[in-house]
Amino acid sequence: MSTTTTPPPGVSEQDLARLAEHWGERPSLRGWFSTVDHKKIGRRYLVTAGFFFVLAGLSALVMRTQLARPEAGVVSPQEYNQLFSMHGTAMIFLFATPMLFGFGNFLVPLMIGARDMAFPRLNAFGYWVFLFAGLFMWASLPFGAAPNNGWFAYVPLSGEQHNPGLHMDVYALGLLFLGISTTAASINFIVTALKLRAPGMSLNRVPLFVWAIVATAFMVIFALPALNVDNAMLFLDRRFGTHFFDPSGGGNVLLWQHLFWIFGHPDVYIIVMPALGIVSAVLPAFTRRGVVGYPLIVLSIVSIAIISFGVWVHHMFATGLPQLSYSFFSAASTIITIPSGIQIFAWLATMLLGRLVLRVPLLYVIGFVVTFVLGGFTGAMFALTAFDQQVTDSYFVVAHFHYVLIGGAVFPMLAGIYYWLPKITGRMYHERLGRWAFWLVFAGMHVTFFPMHLYGLFGMPRRVYTYRSEPGWDGWNLVSTVGSYLLAVGLLLVLVGVVHALRRGRPAPPDPWEGDSLEWATASPPEPYNFPVLPRVHSLHPAWDERTAESVRAGATADRILSDGRRTLVTSELDAHPERAVQMPESTLMPLVLAGALLVFFTSMLFAWYPVAAVAALAVAATIAVWLWPSRRPDEELGVSG
Amino acid sequence: MTTRPGPHARLTGGLLLWYGVLGGAVAWAVHVLAAWSLDELACAAGSERVAAVPLWQAVGLAVVIPGLFTVGSLLVAALVWRRTARAGEEDRAFGRSRMLAVVGVWANLLFLTIIVLGGVAVLVLPPCQR
Ligand code: HEM
Ligand SMILES: [Cu+2]
Repeated sequence: MSTTTTPPPGVSEQDLARLAEHWGERPSLRGWFSTVDHKKIGRRYLVTAGFFFVLAGLSALVMRTQLARPEAGVVSPQEYNQLFSMHGTAMIFLFATPMLFGFGNFLVPLMIGARDMAFPRLNAFGYWVFLFAGLFMWASLPFGAAPNNGWFAYVPLSGEQHNPGLHMDVYALGLLFLGISTTAASINFIVTALKLRAPGMSLNRVPLFVWAIVATAFMVIFALPALNVDNAMLFLDRRFGTHFFDPSGGGNVLLWQHLFWIFGHPDVYIIVMPALGIVSAVLPAFTRRGVVGYPLIVLSIVSIAIISFGVWVHHMFATGLPQLSYSFFSAASTIITIPSGIQIFAWLATMLLGRLVLRVPLLYVIGFVVTFVLGGFTGAMFALTAFDQQVTDSYFVVAHFHYVLIGGAVFPMLAGIYYWLPKITGRMYHERLGRWAFWLVFAGMHVTFFPMHLYGLFGMPRRVYTYRSEPGWDGWNLVSTVGSYLLAVGLLLVLVGVVHALRRGRPAPPDPWEGDSLEWATASPPEPYNFPVLPRVHSLHPAWDERTAESVRAGATADRILSDGRRTLVTSELDAHPERAVQMPESTLMPLVLAGALLVFFTSMLFAWYPVAAVAALAVAATIAVWLWPSRRPDEELGVSG
Repeated sequence: MTTRPGPHARLTGGLLLWYGVLGGAVAWAVHVLAAWSLDELACAAGSERVAAVPLWQAVGLAVVIPGLFTVGSLLVAALVWRRTARAGEEDRAFGRSRMLAVVGVWANLLFLTIIVLGGVAVLVLPPCQR
C-alpha cells in the first residue's frame, strides 16, 4: 500500500513527512535505548527469547549427552539438577511466553490497525525487565548457584533446610522480577485490543490471533498472582524464617502445590494459546480461504481460558485428597479436549476446503497438528487416574509434555517466524533451506521424544542424572540423544535461514502471501507510524476486502491521518466506533532506568545487601514518580475533540 | 454506541446478552469451587454433614443450582441468536451480538456438560472416600 516514495492517494507528501518526523527516531545509541516503538520492542522480545532458547537448548544437549550411555560422567548430579531446572524454568518462563508476547507486540497493533500499543513506555519497560530478569537467572548457572529443584520447585525440597545456598532464592526472586514484565505486557495487550482497534473492527471482526493474545493476557492476570504469592512466601520462608510451608510451624506443604498449579495448569494454555493463534493467522494465506468456524474458534479460546483455571488439581493425583474432589477435576480435564478439538477440526476443515500452498509455514502447521494431537492423546491417558499413578514422574511424562510444548508452541512459532519474516525484516527467506530445516526439526523432534514414552513405560524415572544399564533403556536413550542432535542441527538451519534472509534475501513486497489481516496492508517492514491512513474495517478479512482498501483511499481525511503529533485513534470496546484521537508518548530512557533500578533491588535482595536494596527501592519509587509526573500538555491544547 | 438501540436491539446489547454468553462459565466456576471446597473442608473436619444436611445433598445442591443457572443462560443465548437472525453485514452491533450469541449457545452446552458430569460423580462416589 505504501512505501516512503509513493504516498497513498489522499495523503500529501507533507503529511508523510510530518508522520515520519513525529514517529521516526534518529539512529543513535540513545535512540536505541529509549525507543518505545512496538515493532522494535517486539523484535527485541523475539531475539532475546530466542537467545534464552539457545541457552536452554544447550542445557538440554548436555543432559542428553550425559544420558546417551548408562553411568556416564559428563556432569555431576548437582550440575544435572541445575541443568534440568534451568532448562525447564527458562523454556517455560524465559522462552515460550516472551517469544509469543514478542509476536503479539509486533503484530497486535498492526493487525488491529493502530499506531502503537496503548502504553508504549510500559511496553518498553516490560521488555527491559524481561531481559534483566532472564540475565539475572542465567547468570547464576556459571557460578553453580542456579535453581536446582525442577521448574515447579516443590517444597519442602526447595526449603531452606533441604536446599541451602542461593539456588532457590534465584528462582523465587527471578520469577518475581520476571512477573512484573509479564503482567505489564498483559495489561497492555488487553487495553490495546479493547481500545485501539480500527473503526469498524467490531468483536466479530477481530483476528483470531488477537483474540488468542487477549485471552492469554487475561489468563496471565488471573494466574500469575498465585505464582507470585507462592514465590514471595518461599523467599520469606527461606530467608526470614516464616512458616508458610512448614508444617512444624503451622504451615502447609500442599499449599505450595495448590498455588503453583493454580498458576501452572493455565500456564500450559498461556503458552499454547497464542501459538494456536499463530496457526489461525497463518492458515488463511496458505489455504486461500478464511478459517472455518470463526465463532467456534472464539468459543474455544474463551472456554479454554476459563476451564484451564478449574483443573489444577489433576497435577496432584498422588497427594491423597478425597475421591470426589478428584472427580470434579477429572471431568473438567477431560472436557477441555473438546474446545481444543474444535480448533483442530476447524483447521483441518480449512485445509480440506481450501487450496493448499505448500510453503514452509504450512509445513510447520502440519507438523504442529501431527505432534500436538499425539501429545493430546498421551495427555488424555493421564486423565485415567490409575494410569497417571503408574507413569507419574517417569520419562513418559517428559515425552508427553515435550510433544505438547514443542508441538504446540515451537512448531507454530517457527511457522510464524517464516510467515512474518518478510514483514518484520522486509526480506524473503530461502525456501529450500527452510524445507531442509523443517524436515530436520520434525524428524529430530520425534526421534528424540518418541522413545521417551517407551523407556518411561519401562520404568525410567525422570530427573535422574544417570542410570544403570538396563534392557530397554540403553538403546532407546542413545536414539533419543542422536535425535536431539538432529533437532539441534535443524534449529541451527532455521537460524542460518534467518541470517541468510537478512543478508541476502530478496526484498519483500508489502504482501507476499496475500494474507488476510491488516499487517499485510502496510509496507514491509512497516513505517514507524504503521499506517499513513488509519484503516476502516468492513469484514473479518480486511486485506482481502476491496472496501477496506477503498475506504483508505477515500477516507484519507485529517481525522484518519492524524499527522499533527504522535497520535492514534481510540474506539469503543465492543463495536469500535471512533471516540477520539489521543496523543502517544515520546521515546524516553525512563523504562530502562526503572528496570535497572529493579535489577539492583533484586540483586541486592539475593545477596542480602539490605541497605543497598533499600536505596534501590527508593530509586524505584523516585523513578516511578518522575515517570508519572504530568508533563504532557492537556488534550484540549491539541485540539482534540472529546 | 452512537445510535440509540431500537426495541429489537434490547436483547442484543447490555447485561442480558452477557448473561447469555458468560452465564455457563460463571456457573461452572461457582460449581467447582463450592462443591470442591464443601467436600474438602467437611471431610477434613471428619464429618459427612454440612450444617445438619448430609454432605452428598449439599454437594448435590452445588450441582443443581449452577446447572439451572446455565440452562437459563443457554435459553437467553438462543433467544439472542434468533433475534439477530437478520444481522446485516454492515450492522456492527448486530453482527457482534450474533457472534456472541453463537459463542454463548455452544459455551453453555459445554459448561452444562461439565456440570452434569460433576453431578454424576456426586451420585456415584461416597464423598469422603480416599
Ligand atoms: C529443544 C529440544 C529439547 C530437548 C532436547 C529437551 C530435553 C529435555 C530433557 C532430556 C528433559 C528431562 C530432564 C530430566 O528429567 O532429567 C527435559 C525437561 C524439561 N523440558 Fe525440555 N527439551 C527440549 C525443549 C524444550 C522446550 C521447547 C520446552 C518448553 C517450552 C521444554 C520444557 C521442559 C521442561 C518444563 C522440563 C522439565 C524440567 C523439570 O523436570 O523440572 N523443553 N527437556
Ligand atoms: Cu494441567
